[in-house]
Amino acid sequence: MAITLKKLDPYRWLIPKTGSMRVPGLIFSNDELIKDVQEDQSLTQVANVATLPGIVGYSLAMPDIHRGYGFPIGGVAAFDLDEGIISPGGVGYDINCGCRLLTTRLRADEIRPMIKDLVSALFKNIPCGAGSTSNIHLSKKEEEQVAVQGAVWAVKKGFGSTEDLERIEDYGTMEGADPSLLSERAIKRGKDQLGTLGSGNHFLEIQVIDHIYDQETARTFNLSEGRITVFLHTGSRGFGHQICDDFLKQMSMSISDGKEQFVLPDRQLACAYLKSDQGRHYLAAMACAANYAWANRQVLMHWTEETFLKTLLISPKDLGMNLLYDVCHNIAKKEVHNVEGSKATLCVHRKGATRSLPPGHPLLSPIYRDSGQPVLIPGDMGTYSYVLAGAEGAMSQSFGSTCHGAGRVLSRTKALKKAKGRAINRELEDKGIYVLSRGKRTLKEEIPEAYKDISQIVDVVHKSGLANKVARLKSLGVIKG
Amino acid sequence: MMSNKPDFNIIDHTADLGIKVRGADLKDLFEKAARSMIYIMIRGNPVGKTRRLKLSVTGEDLAGLMVRWLGEVLYLFEGENEVLTKVRVESISSTHLDSTLETVPYKPELHEILCEIKAVTYHQSEVKKKTTTGRPVSFLIYR
Repeated sequence: MAITLKKLDPYRWLIPKTGSMRVPGLIFSNDELIKDVQEDQSLTQVANVATLPGIVGYSLAMPDIHRGYGFPIGGVAAFDLDEGIISPGGVGYDINCGCRLLTTRLRADEIRPMIKDLVSALFKNIPCGAGSTSNIHLSKKEEEQVAVQGAVWAVKKGFGSTEDLERIEDYGTMEGADPSLLSERAIKRGKDQLGTLGSGNHFLEIQVIDHIYDQETARTFNLSEGRITVFLHTGSRGFGHQICDDFLKQMSMSISDGKEQFVLPDRQLACAYLKSDQGRHYLAAMACAANYAWANRQVLMHWTEETFLKTLLISPKDLGMNLLYDVCHNIAKKEVHNVEGSKATLCVHRKGATRSLPPGHPLLSPIYRDSGQPVLIPGDMGTYSYVLAGAEGAMSQSFGSTCHGAGRVLSRTKALKKAKGRAINRELEDKGIYVLSRGKRTLKEEIPEAYKDISQIVDVVHKSGLANKVARLKSLGVIKG
Repeated sequence: MMSNKPDFNIIDHTADLGIKVRGADLKDLFEKAARSMIYIMIRGNPVGKTRRLKLSVTGEDLAGLMVRWLGEVLYLFEGENEVLTKVRVESISSTHLDSTLETVPYKPELHEILCEIKAVTYHQSEVKKKTTTGRPVSFLIYR
């Protein structure tokens, strides 16, 4: 399908409604980034999502859009609860893949001489890599508690404190989780993977705050230049993958059996009506995975703090490690939004997109009621990550959403070719970044050139009013799976 | 686990991984597809107690059958910690196959994971007869 793009202004491109599209597509980008987008199939995927029943407003894409499977990565779509659908492919396999940022009282000049010790200790204490398991082995009953309670379960077990919960999207627990809907396979895959980082683009990174854009918000977020932060990126592991797989199979079978009448341009867009049993069951199972992911990041944060304390031989007070925020970027949620002047509850799919709530939003905890929600945007290993604050423009333009990261521009095959013969860890070390990775190919697949320019992506969301820049973080040390 | 490289091509995809496999017939195609996926994922010696199992899979059509088949082979590793060493498709139709598999237990000290595959997706999944002697298939695996 040939896709027509119409530039609306320097940061917005429209895909006009044609053929079976029910709404137009809208892409947030700039002249440079849009060139890459036009070279992969992600614009077709934006148009495909626009054909799904009950979609409201636009099929949206953030500036880090790239080709996914079914939905594009960086896609946002909201659906009417009565007429609309829910699609596991619109959430992704890694349900509640997300980020968490920890602030500390440490200064970069104190940490630089210790960075190799710290990274090595984290690499030892944080299970990472494909197929990794932790020393937490959940009984079925415990796993069901994790699936219902999320981060609250982890706090009850001594991982972190109740204060952390105020600083997690949805307070670390998604309501409506029903573990009775989970397959034996999902339970089996989840029992040994709580407290693991995983592989691929998941990471734990020690960073220094190297630039502040908004002093007032930075003070609220406890961010100041030269201080050390720790950035965590992981999700619901095999537990979430299995839940996605199980429901995609069910929905696909219902469509092929003729039980559901959908005309889908891509089978990976398999879906169910939100008001159907299948749709409600998926939402309740997805919530289990969302909760598992929040518990996972809560456990990993606790082990990170323990590792810092033991390696640096300092007191918890001197370390001052606190959670800034935890956001998910693969999720579907029922949220209230303005639709043509009226409030409406919609099911917002964010696949590779982050929630961005502005100051005063009722879903924000009181800590961030005046500043807006912290938005955490990881970059690639060699450049920067960013902290932004949710902005009003997100509510009026993107169902309270913004970008989620740099977005790949090279396939893994092309990245491997580009990295052939290069010692990537040495190249990064020359830039002052010490990296340890479990998989031999991971570093090469994740070279900085494989990603879009994160600064441009953040610039687009800032200038479009989807989120406001607060601080920039530079990598000092990384562990990867 | 496959020490000799099966005959397949990687399809370039920004975030994920796709493969194209050709087979002399449907049985050969489905066997090669399973071997190719395992070859991409893991290397090592087929050491350990061999487990032999029968696996039957049903799909809505040939492409759906391929997605389910590879999903089951993937689950053997992800869910059961078993590494595929031999695969034989005993019978196949457009919606069902019966197979006999041999696996060994996954041991991190013996097996190297080259690539974590999270799921086999329907995206771009296709099984079609291209010539009188060959059946190519392309499908996408999510990483």
